[in-house]
Amino acid sequence: MPDRQHARVHALRDIQLFASHTPHVTLSESALACIAEVVTPRAYPAETLVVVEGELCEAAYFIIAGNVEVYRMSLQGRQQVLARLGPGQAFNTVPLFQGDGRNHASVIARTDVTLYALLREDFQHALYSCPDLALVILRDFADRLTHLTDLVEDLALRSVRGRLARFLLQQADGTAIAQKWTQDEMAAYLGTVRDMIGRSLRALTDERMIRLDRGRIVLLDRAALEAEAQN
Amino acid sequence: MVDPWALPEIDLAACTRCGQCVAQCPTQAVEMRAVGPVIVRPQDCTYCTLCEDVCPVGAIACAFEITWDVPTTG
Repeated sequence: MPDRQHARVHALRDIQLFASHTPHVTLSESALACIAEVVTPRAYPAETLVVVEGELCEAAYFIIAGNVEVYRMSLQGRQQVLARLGPGQAFNTVPLFQGDGRNHASVIARTDVTLYALLREDFQHALYSCPDLALVILRDFADRLTHLTDLVEDLALRSVRGRLARFLLQQADGTAIAQKWTQDEMAAYLGTVRDMIGRSLRALTDERMIRLDRGRIVLLDRAALEAEAQN
Repeated sequence: MVDPWALPEIDLAACTRCGQCVAQCPTQAVEMRAVGPVIVRPQDCTYCTLCEDVCPVGAIACAFEITWDVPTTG
């Protein structure tokens, strides 16, 4: 195997989609080699749009390094962040299966990113020639459905304070991509506006669940925050 | 690691020099200079995020790390 091909297979092994802990749906070495042959490395500087909502879907992407943000924008300019993704994660796989083949959401590089792009026609060809790829894609779709169901539950059933408490716990517990957040970014992620985030942070501070330091939100009371996250 | 000197980040390329951050800063930590707004008295900045809030073009970012309280030893 040539060095370049070997390096790509190695990098693809770190993609969560291909590296399941469930043996029955782990991608075979031959399937990885088949994908490594057709992926193209792409680099984007921070704050560059990688995918534009509504445009024809060109490819699926696998994140090798850096972080991206997936979001939708209303006509009024209000943004809803759907996900922040990091190394090992994939995006834009869904529109490859749909009739209109248009991107469902925009994706922006939040840091400098390196991606592997798998073009639509190569993706479909790989699906036909590697049945185990279809299985891992199905598993990924199931995970995405769970994530979006949780997001709908959050938006529909929880108060802003509840959503914020849950978000703070996820961030501090390290279950999400570690990074710094502005109040605007938190608002876009939690489906609200900055004022509500500011008010909710002040309320949680007054109730001694958190402390606001210079550039740091410090969580103080897990039990109270977990109770708040249920509201 | 806590950064005791974390300061709002001002994107001078995006800034329109409207002066809102200077006018609204409760501690007068920021002043308008030839290059644009500059935090000239960092020790007075309380990281209250008001400058970020009033900036009409989103040129100021006050980012927060989110962590658990870790007791100090010694």
